[in-house]
Amino acid sequence: MIKHVLKLLWNKKASNALMILEIFLSFIVLFFVLSYVFFNLGKVNQPLGFETIDIWKIQLDGVEQRDSLEAVTTLQNLKTELLSMEEIEAVSFTESIVPFQNSQWRTGSADNGFQMTTLLVPVDEDLKKVMGLNITEGRWFNEDDLNSSMKPLIVNQEFIDRYYPNKSMVDSTFILNGDRKIIGVIDQYRYIGEFEENHPTVLSIAPYFQNMSAVLLKMKGNTPTAFEEKLSQRIANTTKSTGNVIVDLEKERIENSRESWVLIIALLAICGFLCLNVALGLFGVLWYNINKRKAEIGLRQALGANGFDITKQFILEILVLTGIAILIAIFFTIQIPLLKVTEYPNSLFYKSIGFSTLIILILVTICALFPSVQAAKITPANSLHED
Amino acid sequence: MIKLKNIKKVYRTKTIETTALNDIDLHVPKGEFLSIMGPSGCGKSTLLNIIGLLDAPSDGNILVAGKSIKNYASKETSRFRNEKLGFIFQSFHLIPDLSVLDNVELPLLYRSISSKERRTLAEEALASVGLANRKSHFPSQLSGGQKQRVAIARAIVGNPEIILADEPTGNLDSVMGDEIMGILTKLNKEEGTTIVMVTHDERMAKKTDRLIRLYDGSQVA
Repeated sequence: MIKHVLKLLWNKKASNALMILEIFLSFIVLFFVLSYVFFNLGKVNQPLGFETIDIWKIQLDGVEQRDSLEAVTTLQNLKTELLSMEEIEAVSFTESIVPFQNSQWRTGSADNGFQMTTLLVPVDEDLKKVMGLNITEGRWFNEDDLNSSMKPLIVNQEFIDRYYPNKSMVDSTFILNGDRKIIGVIDQYRYIGEFEENHPTVLSIAPYFQNMSAVLLKMKGNTPTAFEEKLSQRIANTTKSTGNVIVDLEKERIENSRESWVLIIALLAICGFLCLNVALGLFGVLWYNINKRKAEIGLRQALGANGFDITKQFILEILVLTGIAILIAIFFTIQIPLLKVTEYPNSLFYKSIGFSTLIILILVTICALFPSVQAAKITPANSLHED
Repeated sequence: MIKLKNIKKVYRTKTIETTALNDIDLHVPKGEFLSIMGPSGCGKSTLLNIIGLLDAPSDGNILVAGKSIKNYASKETSRFRNEKLGFIFQSFHLIPDLSVLDNVELPLLYRSISSKERRTLAEEALASVGLANRKSHFPSQLSGGQKQRVAIARAIVGNPEIILADEPTGNLDSVMGDEIMGILTKLNKEEGTTIVMVTHDERMAKKTDRLIRLYDGSQVA
């Protein structure tokens, strides 16, 4: 039967080419949308490396622009004030590079025998306690590190994997704007956002009272939102400014990801709409073809085909066409991982090819099923006289 | 070979009831060449469809080789048509997208035989109607007479016991018609194939063993 179907399709190749093209294009669109979605979902599914629940962020109003002595005093007083509040468990001061704020500091060096690019985040020694960072090797910063002759750094695992794979780098030195010593490794610190890739990242220690413009607070569980007003008042009194902004980090995480989610949902919706259109198109074409071929169906029944044979033939026809379209589409799409056109992992594209194939096959089978079953119900006596 | 007992066929719509066949009793012995004549709309094709199990009677019974086929399931009916019957139609009903050889192979497609054997049998059938050299052609490249010969090859390729021909010469000129009639007669005489043929052509009907006439759904002669 398959040989017979192939002959039938080959002899109608001109009209079938359009259907193949339609399925091919659908596959290509589906492949790219799914690749984009899988890539982003892959990032979202990776841990951020820090906690966001019960973490509040305070954006200080112009403290760093004050006279340096006044700024230091203000920050020292602020830390004392904040720690005196029983709702606050820990306090960490940072520069403007804080989670979900779209600010980043990128630096690099070619002095280690290869080109190195990394994100740099100045932090104080309390960041680990506030954000719940996970040290996988070595240790976290302590106060002595501020006065260390060789500036200590903590790097993330991605930094190690990218630049020093399969090596233990704790207590090793390298050059990055001067000699640096790695004292510890954290698993992740994806502070830019959930949809951001896991870049090599370096944390450097800085005294909390210098050039700091933001504060991260580890709050006690279930701290009421009303506390924000009391906190705001206390900060305003200490910094002598009312322009400070307090944000719940979890809310900011959701807000930060919203734009990316909207894009993903929009793409999936457009893709779904495209699939629906393709499905309706296929359904219409099949329905039309079957009606046009009523006499042939009647003839086949007269010659001994039963209902199952008729259904099988029409489903087989569309599945063979779909198979051809999918094979052509796979030939083109598989070049992306094979030729390593992008830096994205190959598994992402293989997964997209697999899912695109599955979705197209399911869609086509559903569309073919109803018209094919209806074709089997055509009575030969009537259809043979319609021609 | 074929026995029809009190066959009735009534077409019903919401407002009208039309009797297409009324109490038809017919016996076609094995090896007979029977022709059915009558004016248009008298029920000739309906009768042929009922004999060919393409349509079910509203009442009555059909016996083939002594067996009632009234209670045949759909699959059994299909198998019966495939193994015992061959059909020839006025408008040939060749599939335009298949070559002559593939068209002839069609009935064998629904039997469990290899493609090689199918091809051999189809080539033999084509040779028997004198079209061995046209096997790669498509129906659109053939004359009316050649198309009907392909249809005959398709009808005989499965070696059926009965051939049902619905106005096989209706679309052909007299020379072509005679040629087709010659092939059918040869099949009947030499192979012993039972043939039931519906025709409008008195001249063709006279070449058969027996003629029955229908008028308004009833057998009148």
